[in-house]
Amino acid sequence: MSDKLLHAPLDLDPFASAIPRVDDALSRRINADPESLERGLAQLVLTVVELLRQLMERQALRRIDAGGLTDEQEERLGRTFMELDQRMAELREEFGLTEEDLNLDLGPLGRLL
Amino acid sequence: MIELYAITDNPGPPLPELAPELRLVPFDGLAAVCTPASKAEVSPQTLWHHEEVVEALMADRDLLPVRYGTRLDDEAEVARAMEGRSEELAAALDRVRGAVELSVRVMAAAATPSPPDPVATTSGAEYLRLRAQAEASREDAAGALHEPLAALARESAQGRPRPPELFRAAYLVERGAVDSFVAEVGRLQGESPGLAVLCTGPWPPYSFADR
Repeated sequence: MSDKLLHAPLDLDPFASAIPRVDDALSRRINADPESLERGLAQLVLTVVELLRQLMERQALRRIDAGGLTDEQEERLGRTFMELDQRMAELREEFGLTEEDLNLDLGPLGRLL
Repeated sequence: MIELYAITDNPGPPLPELAPELRLVPFDGLAAVCTPASKAEVSPQTLWHHEEVVEALMADRDLLPVRYGTRLDDEAEVARAMEGRSEELAAALDRVRGAVELSVRVMAAAATPSPPDPVATTSGAEYLRLRAQAEASREDAAGALHEPLAALARESAQGRPRPPELFRAAYLVERGAVDSFVAEVGRLQGESPGLAVLCTGPWPPYSFADR
């Protein structure tokens, strides 16, 4: 394969490590064996929860931008989202999932998150 | 079973030697490039081989890349599948004619201090402020890079960056304009020491062949 780097920063490592490995994606799609069923189900449920969490968080940011929330309400909202975020991280860890695992590839529609 | 690689003009330049069993299945002035389907297990190597064939084809012709793993029963089936869509495909091929896809991805340069991890703060309001800030700085970085690059491209398509990426986009660039595009990337990188900009290509026009 010819060299595809047209312009690269001095340090390429962060880009390399951010690429989801192709063989991961392939095995995710193909090896839906019974042993991984629980993890697969957790992945699906957590993906939906994460989608809702992000939607609500964006909605909250928009409401704050628009004004009209008291400091106390902002603090409460923020704390809720922070705790949700932490709880999600714990659940991901419990099922051995990464953030990228919760991002479904919807084919022509792009990626979920 | 046969495997599809690309839709291209018919006739075109001779097919590359890379895959000796490459054949053209003609339909309505266009052709589908195929081979007998490989019996090998799906693996990163087979995926790379597919990409290699499409890129070799791309070297001297315009094409619409076909998604890896697209298989049909036989050549008659290919012709049948294509014939109903030939006008649409011809228009899609015209859209990418003479151009290639370049990919641009941006991350924060390692030297810049990353914003404090929101999880580390204890104040809810502070957490939301950091979130909003992160979103805003992403949009700034995107806008500053995207506009000058989009001006040099025929079309562009922004993708959703995958954290910690700040920005990603694909540009459909005339073959003759690739050098000036890359020079512009270099100039923008020089202007933004806080960012690390990666530009790769030329790729088959994957992001501009979907409709």
